[in-house]
Amino acid sequence: MRQFKKSKDQEKKIKINKSLSKNIDEMKETFSYGLNKDFCMRTLEVKFSEYNACLFYYGSIVDGERINTHIIKPLLEQTGDKLSNIVTIENLEEVTDLEKAIQNVNSGKAILFIDNDEIAYAMDVAKFEYRAVSKAENESVIKGPQDAFTESLNANISLIRKQLHNHQLVNEAVQVGERSVNEVNILYIKDMVKDDLLSNLRERLENISIDSIRNIEVLEQHLEERPYSLIPTILYTERPDKATAFLEDGYIILLMNTSSACLIVPVTFWSFYHSPEDRYLRFLYGNFSRAIRLLCFYLTTMISATYVAIANFHSEMIPPDLLLAITASRERIPFPLVFEVLIMEIAFELIREAGVRIPNPLGPTIGIVGALILGQAAVEANIISPIIVIVAALSGLSSFGIPDLSMNFTVRILRFIFILAAASFGMLGLIGALILFFMYVVSIRSYGVPFFSPVAPNFKSSKDTVFRKVLKKEYFRPGFLDLKDSTKRNK
Amino acid sequence: MIRKLLLWLLFLLLLGGCQDRIELEQQSYVITIGIDATDQKGIYALTYQFANPEVGYSASSSADEPPSEIVTVNGSDLLSATYFANSIVSKQITLDHTRVIVVSEEVARSDNFLRIIQSASRTPEIRRKVEIIVSKEKASDFITNNKPLMETRPHKYYQSMLSRAIQTGIIPKATIHQFFQITEGDADLFLGIYATTDQSDNKDDEMEEDQYIAGEIPQKGGPPTQFMGAAVFKEGKMIDILDGEETRIAQILNTTLDMDSFITTIPDPLMPEYNITYHYSQTEEPAIDIQYNKDKPTIIDVKVKFKAEIVAIPSLIDYTQKADDRRTLENAIVKRVKKKTEDLIEKSQKVYRSDPFYWSLFIRKHFKDIPSYEEADWQNNIYPNANINVEYEIDKLEFGKMINDTNLNEVRD
Repeated sequence: MRQFKKSKDQEKKIKINKSLSKNIDEMKETFSYGLNKDFCMRTLEVKFSEYNACLFYYGSIVDGERINTHIIKPLLEQTGDKLSNIVTIENLEEVTDLEKAIQNVNSGKAILFIDNDEIAYAMDVAKFEYRAVSKAENESVIKGPQDAFTESLNANISLIRKQLHNHQLVNEAVQVGERSVNEVNILYIKDMVKDDLLSNLRERLENISIDSIRNIEVLEQHLEERPYSLIPTILYTERPDKATAFLEDGYIILLMNTSSACLIVPVTFWSFYHSPEDRYLRFLYGNFSRAIRLLCFYLTTMISATYVAIANFHSEMIPPDLLLAITASRERIPFPLVFEVLIMEIAFELIREAGVRIPNPLGPTIGIVGALILGQAAVEANIISPIIVIVAALSGLSSFGIPDLSMNFTVRILRFIFILAAASFGMLGLIGALILFFMYVVSIRSYGVPFFSPVAPNFKSSKDTVFRKVLKKEYFRPGFLDLKDSTKRNK
Repeated sequence: MIRKLLLWLLFLLLLGGCQDRIELEQQSYVITIGIDATDQKGIYALTYQFANPEVGYSASSSADEPPSEIVTVNGSDLLSATYFANSIVSKQITLDHTRVIVVSEEVARSDNFLRIIQSASRTPEIRRKVEIIVSKEKASDFITNNKPLMETRPHKYYQSMLSRAIQTGIIPKATIHQFFQITEGDADLFLGIYATTDQSDNKDDEMEEDQYIAGEIPQKGGPPTQFMGAAVFKEGKMIDILDGEETRIAQILNTTLDMDSFITTIPDPLMPEYNITYHYSQTEEPAIDIQYNKDKPTIIDVKVKFKAEIVAIPSLIDYTQKADDRRTLENAIVKRVKKKTEDLIEKSQKVYRSDPFYWSLFIRKHFKDIPSYEEADWQNNIYPNANINVEYEIDKLEFGKMINDTNLNEVRD
């Protein structure tokens, strides 16, 4: 692991004192010993040098059993020439300044001060509590691995290394945050990824000046270029297999100990559009599901808006039977059609938001309230017409076909913009808004990569965009990443 | 400041666009327009038939309302009268969904027909695929009396009635687009749909099938409306009526009209007291070859290939097994249809002095430019004097799914 020290740290570096009692006082002071209940201190006399020593650690984040058998017991019983030959802990680090020692205690290590020694020893005995690896719930697939990241860095990296047996896969740590110093781990394949991209990312991480970054979800917002944009520029996934697939293609993964997900940079539109299952299913099946998803994108953004545009401005486009049916259903509705559509769309968003927040035992209520009250009763009360229910249900249902949460929000917000555009200028307004939106999206870049590459602008790639090719015919890695090795497979 | 400006711009956009927005239920949809003459010159009685959206809509409670509302007002053209009609009709009148324009025979035969129908081509509201129906009686009477029993909603009635009748060939497809195309091309004859609700007194039961025009078909039961035959328009004015069979032949020879197939009968060539029924269907467009001669009559060769499927042989003659008889049957079919065609061509050359087949399309390539084509004068010069040879050829003769008919002797032993 490479450590990046911040320049600030170097200024207030306090060397470790030779006298143990001074060090003990310093540590007690720093950690408010006595007040701080889980901060522990254990003094002992080490057998091999017969000096007094003191061990500091947080009782709540270390493994007591390991301290006992691998540190205290050998220190009291074993003899030897130096410390590293006595303690049986696998990770032993020598620390010379106090700042570093404090940081080590904070991240779950035990620090050993020995009298007459200017070096303190940090031993990794951390045992943070975390959930066991469980099934991916937000990005579920039918065919494919089911495991998901969990809130433990080691577990997560293990899930990735399990799939990618490559010595070039590097896990680099960068520290972020000033009050609470947390570690962000950058994973990449060293002989593939472009150095510029990597140094750009490192630079951005180092330039984050904030008290603390708790998890990857917060980090995402500190790393993106356009915080006000409708378009996400970093991919967030809880699936290790998806992350590994991106690693193999030369993308960079960011992990933290506190999140059950990872970030992937850079991204294109296609990263949000694809699901890992597309590649696990056979060629035709996978592309079929892509086609359905494309339809989902279209329906969820455009169907309500198209309905508003056609019904309000272009009634001549509707076949007479449908026209008369819509007209008849609207005879007794007191609101304009746009308003009706907005009511239903907002109602659907309400159900959705409430559905996420609602405690599990109350879950079924949402279904009843949503379907019955909004669907049927509103129609019977002549507040909305039945066709609107179909339109809103279609656009709502389609929004679930979009695999990524961020893109899902993009599309859902976009829908309202399109409805307003359609309501003000009909088809003209709708198409105008769509074109403007596309112009904007094409202009977006994520870490220098144009959002619609490799389609526009065109790059050499495996042509895995709207549809994918047969796996045997994928020859190149994405050209827009400018990789050191861009050939997947020789022709 | 910039935010205020943006907000302003947003409202400007939102409000600026809304001016031509109209809700569906604020409009009345016209399905049929009727045109009748009045005593005043230049003023017509225009009849509008509005669809009632609530009829046929399942969740609607107003089942007693009529399926349509019919209003007649006077006006000088199709569109201006709609504003006048708003003194009677409660909603904005929309012509976007007009299916047919019904013209009374009286107006169609007058010189002023072109003047009144002209506005239909100018307004974007009336589609070019609206069909022209010529009614024997007044158009307002036709619309009022036309009360179909099953398809009570007018748009559905015209949709299914016209599309089926056009498929069988008893009426032509007669869009105003084609009307203007042919009339302004000033060469050929336009065929309009002929229909009536006025049943004629001199119904002739003895006539052969298809040789009727609307109103003369013997009928018991059903609604009074009959669609049969075609109104012949020359230079934007109606001059004659073709009966159902002639209409069919005109459509066979006209490459711009597509007729599907029809079932017809001929007298059995071996036992003329029985009829043979066959299913005529055309496999390909007729081949029309025009040999243009500047000084002597132009020669027009027409070759029609068709498929005949014998549906019924009441005489029980074994045509399927005997090659000679089969040939006789084939010749009889060809001879008969050729005879009918020659009759119609002769009529058009002598009486109408122009063609209802839109053949002027095929001679245009022989001219360098439009003035020279106009000078040659298809309508008055080339067509009436042309030598026209029509060849029919049975591409395929089929006998249905059974080869042998019932053997009468075996049944009655």
